[in-house]
Amino acid sequence: MSTHFFGLTSRTYEYSHSVGRNEFAGTGFRNPSDMAVDAEGTVYVVNRSYENRPDGVRVTACTLDEQYISEFATYGEEDGNFIWPAGIALDSEERLFITDEWLNRVTIMSKDGEFLGKWGTGGSGDGELDRPAGIAISEDGTVFIVDSRNSRVQKFTLDGQYLGKFGSHGSGPGELNMPWGIDLDKEGNVYVADWRNDRIQVFNSDGEWQASYGQSGDGVGQFNRPNGVAVDEDGDIYVADWLNDRVQVLAPDGRFVTQMVGDHVMSQWGKDKLLSNPDMIRQRALAFANDPTYERNFAHPCAVRVDSQGRVCVLDHTRGRIQVYSKVKDPVLV
Amino acid sequence: MADQQDVALMAHLLRRAGFGASRDEIEAKAAQGYDSVVEELLNPSSVPNVEEDLLMRYMPAYHEAAAIETNIQAWVWRMINTPRQLQEKMALFWHMIFCAGHSKIDSGQEMGRMIAMFREHGMGNFRNLLWLLSTSPAMVYYLDNSESHKENLNENYGRELLELFSLGVGKDEEFNYSEDDVKACARAFTGWNIAPSYPPFPYGRSPWEFRFDPADHDDSEKTFLGETGNLNGDDVLDIICKQPATARFVARHLYNFFVADDVQIPAWRLTPPRDMKAIEAMEQAYFDSGYEIKAVLEVLFKSDFFKAEDVRFAKVKNPAEMVVSTMRLVGEHRDIQPGLFEFSQEPKYMGMDLMNPPTVEGWHTGREWIDSGTLVERINFAADLMGNTELPGVQSLVGRLMAQGDSLTPDQFVAGCLDLTGPLIVTDDTLQQLRAHASKDGNLTTANQAEFSRRAGEMFQMIAATAEFQFE
Repeated sequence: MSTHFFGLTSRTYEYSHSVGRNEFAGTGFRNPSDMAVDAEGTVYVVNRSYENRPDGVRVTACTLDEQYISEFATYGEEDGNFIWPAGIALDSEERLFITDEWLNRVTIMSKDGEFLGKWGTGGSGDGELDRPAGIAISEDGTVFIVDSRNSRVQKFTLDGQYLGKFGSHGSGPGELNMPWGIDLDKEGNVYVADWRNDRIQVFNSDGEWQASYGQSGDGVGQFNRPNGVAVDEDGDIYVADWLNDRVQVLAPDGRFVTQMVGDHVMSQWGKDKLLSNPDMIRQRALAFANDPTYERNFAHPCAVRVDSQGRVCVLDHTRGRIQVYSKVKDPVLV
Repeated sequence: MADQQDVALMAHLLRRAGFGASRDEIEAKAAQGYDSVVEELLNPSSVPNVEEDLLMRYMPAYHEAAAIETNIQAWVWRMINTPRQLQEKMALFWHMIFCAGHSKIDSGQEMGRMIAMFREHGMGNFRNLLWLLSTSPAMVYYLDNSESHKENLNENYGRELLELFSLGVGKDEEFNYSEDDVKACARAFTGWNIAPSYPPFPYGRSPWEFRFDPADHDDSEKTFLGETGNLNGDDVLDIICKQPATARFVARHLYNFFVADDVQIPAWRLTPPRDMKAIEAMEQAYFDSGYEIKAVLEVLFKSDFFKAEDVRFAKVKNPAEMVVSTMRLVGEHRDIQPGLFEFSQEPKYMGMDLMNPPTVEGWHTGREWIDSGTLVERINFAADLMGNTELPGVQSLVGRLMAQGDSLTPDQFVAGCLDLTGPLIVTDDTLQQLRAHASKDGNLTTANQAEFSRRAGEMFQMIAATAEFQFE
């Protein structure tokens, strides 16, 4: 269960289950950086892995019920491969758009992993990218890309035609410092994880600044390098508060609602791994007695997404898993 | 503006107290002043740190990295890029003395944590450093203290603490401790153990934790180095640190690492230090400061024996120094970028498997770094980089050479290149060979810039292949 700040709202979040384990291939994830969830509950996880394990760089497709579907792509500069995969989003035709922070490009793939196209070029001019990170696509097909080292958000058509930009380097309202994650609400407002300014900024779809939430720190409503952001149907805002190892929930007006620090219970894939390594079961029992929180808590949560059923999914950079929560809106009796 | 002597001295300081520097950095530091730079090096918090958040953002696997290769890679990146160069050099220094290796520990994360401990405390108090070492879970495991019990003693850690981590076997032809001292030391550390940790699967190992088990501690009376009581590990560390032999141990190691190659530690009982006055000055600083390593380093770097010309280029670069200093000079991997893995493995190819020393005694240094295989690896590595005129550091050197005149004679050409790559001091034989090569194409002129760049790169490459380039 999440903690709750009584008296402000009536949202609570119940842990449901976890998906995944640390794995370089197949049923698990390795240093994932982002995920997208389609209407059927299939999740596409971008695995960053690391250089001396290029086999771990890939996209994993599975369901939130932990049914493995497939994996595709690998490490490399060739079409359909990645060096530093970062963000992922689905368009209305459910094609996958994946950013690569090193190659400064967006790769488009089918849900089956077929390479469909790419666009993007490095630089700081209009339409050029310098370490593109988060990506979101509106219903009208506008692609919003967090152009992190240019400290701005750029808008493109689905085929990569430049449409516009907003934000510039700084710490004032509407200014950004190495932003990372991005999401859109149902009105089309743009929420940006302003990473090095330790805040969330909200813009309208034209890029006009609307609000900034948060400041540096580890207290209520404070952030330490927030990287993932998501907005649900009610307008509640979920922030992956990366170096504070938690997810904070903000009301639509930015007030703190609650936080989640992780409630992990062994996933099925995790159990499968242990069954094939039974020597570790007793080691784990001893370790758990010494510290029950190590696996339970988030470890550098890097992305948070809300699926079509309103489930809140939190992805860990370090533990290779998704923790799934459901939102409960019944009144809280104090 | 700093003169040539200032530049040469600053280059010497930055090679030893760091991993070398670009010519631009050397000149800027020389202008800042020698003592000021020493103070800066000794006080790392006075300069910006590595941007940890950026490092983890682009290299998320560096956080709690399980793989040893990833930990090595992260460490090499820090050596190249940290503005706190002496702090990182001290991490390497202690790693080469307080040896624990991945071959037994089998946890990249724990090796990384041990290096981080050396980084954070390596210039601090030696008593504290020994305590941190004795409570380091990796060391507790590596030297079997986890298998040393009140009723079943394992002397391994007790012995190595005395022989290799503090006193040394002997000095001035005397032995520093007896077998009874070893046993008493080991008994004092019984109960210093490790808490259970999570295994690798399925979510990764948890960091190891030290745990003291009083029920497994031998609390009976012991006599250690002449002192008797119900001694525990803390008491033993107190006794160790006040021994003249410990001051000698610290001083000789620092001299060997920072000043000039000396004999290896097994020979220290019978072979006096290369420079006894230098050692005595450092020993005095050790006691005067209450065992502060920083105070000993300050004496060292500000001394005449460190600044003396006869110790410059008198030390064989260890493989980490060879790799990192060359990369710093040519401007390779000065950003967070892919491609570091192969570079980070280079020290291993040259005989220094970082985070995995061959034994608890560590690597033998000096000329023992060089054999026919490692020499070829060292030369090939350095020459490949130094001759790559696409690299920003090499381009900067070429630009500086161009600024020396529209036409350089072969002698001027060679002198300019040697100056920019050190200033490197070479023997007459080497100088003649370089000049002979330079003379083949006559004067070096800026009329054809591509040709100028090519010839300069070739000369830098030849310098990288000289015997003198193996030294720092």
